[in-house]
Amino acid sequence: MPDAPDALTATGVTKRFGAVVALSDARLRVGRGEVHALLGANGCGKSTLCKIIAGTVARDSGDIRVDGEARPLASPRAAEAAGIAIFYQELSLVPQLTVAENIHLGHEPRGAGGFVDRTARDESTDHLIGRFAGVAGDTFSAKTRVADLSPDQRQITEILKVLARRPRLIIFDEATAALDRRQVDVFFSIVRDLRAEGVSSIFISHRLDEVFAVADRITVMRNGETVGDFAVAETDPEAIVREMVGDVRLGPRPGKRPAAGGEPRLVVDGVGGGRLKDVRFTARKGEILGLGGLQGQGQKRLLAGLFGAEPFTSGAVLLDGAPVAPRRPADAIRAGFGLVSGDRGRDAAFPGRSILENAAMASLVREKAHLILARRLSARFDRMLAGLKTRYAGLGAPIGSLSGGNQQKIFIARWLAARPLVLLLDDPTKGIDLGAKADFFAIIRALAETGTTVLIYSSEDADLLSLCQRVLVFNGGRITADLSGPALDAVGLTRAAYGEAA
Amino acid sequence: MDRVTAILKDPLLLAALAVLALLGLGELLSPGFARGDQIVRLLTVAAILGIVAAGQNLVILGGREGIDLSVGAVISLGAVIAGNVMSGDDAMILPALLAAGGVGFLVGIVNGLGVTVVRIPPLVMTLGMMGVVQGALVVLSRGVPSGNAAPALMAFVNQPLVAGIPGILFVWAAIAVLMAFVLRRTLFGWSVYAIGANERAAVLTGLPAGRIRTILYGLSGLFAGITGVCVIGYTGNSFISVGDQYVLPSVIAVVIGGTSLAGGSGSYTGTILGAIALVLLQSVLTTLQMEFWSRQVIFGATLLLLMLLYGRQARLRV
Repeated sequence: MPDAPDALTATGVTKRFGAVVALSDARLRVGRGEVHALLGANGCGKSTLCKIIAGTVARDSGDIRVDGEARPLASPRAAEAAGIAIFYQELSLVPQLTVAENIHLGHEPRGAGGFVDRTARDESTDHLIGRFAGVAGDTFSAKTRVADLSPDQRQITEILKVLARRPRLIIFDEATAALDRRQVDVFFSIVRDLRAEGVSSIFISHRLDEVFAVADRITVMRNGETVGDFAVAETDPEAIVREMVGDVRLGPRPGKRPAAGGEPRLVVDGVGGGRLKDVRFTARKGEILGLGGLQGQGQKRLLAGLFGAEPFTSGAVLLDGAPVAPRRPADAIRAGFGLVSGDRGRDAAFPGRSILENAAMASLVREKAHLILARRLSARFDRMLAGLKTRYAGLGAPIGSLSGGNQQKIFIARWLAARPLVLLLDDPTKGIDLGAKADFFAIIRALAETGTTVLIYSSEDADLLSLCQRVLVFNGGRITADLSGPALDAVGLTRAAYGEAA
Repeated sequence: MDRVTAILKDPLLLAALAVLALLGLGELLSPGFARGDQIVRLLTVAAILGIVAAGQNLVILGGREGIDLSVGAVISLGAVIAGNVMSGDDAMILPALLAAGGVGFLVGIVNGLGVTVVRIPPLVMTLGMMGVVQGALVVLSRGVPSGNAAPALMAFVNQPLVAGIPGILFVWAAIAVLMAFVLRRTLFGWSVYAIGANERAAVLTGLPAGRIRTILYGLSGLFAGITGVCVIGYTGNSFISVGDQYVLPSVIAVVIGGTSLAGGSGSYTGTILGAIALVLLQSVLTTLQMEFWSRQVIFGATLLLLMLLYGRQARLRV
């Protein structure tokens, strides 16, 4: 390199979480005043690498230099001292405070006597807001409470909070997710201004067109390691997608059942709510329909809407021809929906209660079995769990005595016993081992054979590829691709996930 | 050593041991303490505490910081209502029971709606309700005690009915069987544990968590109202703060019995043992001629000690 050292060089960075290797060999070089995109499929390690650079996760090994100087980056404070700021995708704002208070939180301008200089704080905030003048809405000022802001205004506040720190390197993780077209344009012009001032950016986005519009260079990661570093001017989206996917060999695909041969069971007609916009599709009896795309593109919101946990605000849903509009999960369950969540501790488990109680609850509710006939119930679930190859000491043992994979089988049993017409799976294989995963796939296939419609969202593309004949790919709250047949492979999924036409 | 920790981890066993130890201690301090008729007398007092603690038990099992501090005021209310309805007339015992229980139930339902619909923290909601009910009692009665128990009710509570055992103990036994049956063998009972263990998961399994929790507060009010009738049967007449002394013990009895204040685990069997242990403790302290306020210190300290003991257990996790 010629004169100035790079803004950031990371080499040989590794990180394990328990048995899971998140990063095996991550490399990243960001030049001074460069906009650098970091790309890869779900689970490739890009978020972990960003957290390490921002000091919120400690690396196991590897060398990171900021402006040529080796830095341990042991804490967020240390990273901040090194001039690094991160934009958080999951919003980090305090709703009760004003925009100005949030933006300067922990860095309040001090006046005489060490008191917070409110005038200076609000003025500098209004100055920052001025950067989004005309596109941020009229109700947006330094004194507005964050709780009263719209989602896009919150995201702008988050961006301004980062800018207020005057960092030399900014990590933007999905910074444009909640912004509309005009706001994205303003944001890009800000990023370009920063580039001119010598500020570097690391840019994570689910839209390849955005990446090619704003980035100078691209680093591609796959399975925890960096596979390449490209100048945007010398590459194209097609080549980048190939790099993200790599040389994949497909897992065992489901047998050549006639894809989607059954009658329509679930018709989703233009539903919206949250970031979900005008989603429409039809799922058939016995179909295993995948919901693909990068994480957080509305897949979970769709499942929560169908299950009544977060009702849709627009559109209609037909189940076997009859309209259903569940306002709460009990409504959806009565109509014939079931939901298995990957976040078992939060969404499924009754900690401290027995395996039997955990397994039987949904069917007791559905069957309105107010009197519990313990012996008959135990026999029923012993039989069922044996069929699912579950290992447990006895139905009276607490749920916590089981491994993650076996717990998940209990929660699948909970819904199998309730005989749903449509089973919703929300990232169901999270944190379960490979053996249990294979069992799980077999259970789901067998269930579909009996005519149950299955909708599955998974953060791992491989799950969708081995289970589904058809995958709807989500991007920014919309379905941007409906993949089946030969188009449904790792390349097609990744390309569609990044918003490229199939 | 392992066996000792195993005992320490089983609250039922621990509570049973406490009962035996206190009985032994009482007998040591004052020979005749553990005599049959003395034990029946102690159990009668424990029954009154045990009935109000049944409601407290349900509310705590339901989780989300569930607690009912208004039980004391509702007991007083129940006693005053029952006393006025009965006015010493045996024929009016059943109407008195229905009136006291019914009003208690309604007060509890208001508590439940405040907690579930308005989302007021249970501690604050039931503390506020306690103030409302106490104030209303003073206003309505103008501070003058009124009404008195029917003779048959007093006999039922204080005199032997069958084999030297007063009627109230049969009532308590029936409540114990009913509680065990409902909690273990009905969907409602399983739902109580489920919403206490993980409300979000319970809702995602189709359980009407808000409705169940509201009913639990209603039942707590119902049990407190019934306790009010027992109290006036025990003492003969009522005064407007007669229930106050039951608030803290009703919580302690539940906790001694091993019900987690976090909700989702515990049993009424434990609470029964807890109520008996607490009444024994009170009796032993009285034998030691400790006065009321010193006993309060011991009670409060017992609760905090138990919290320390159970709080040190690893939190339940998945």
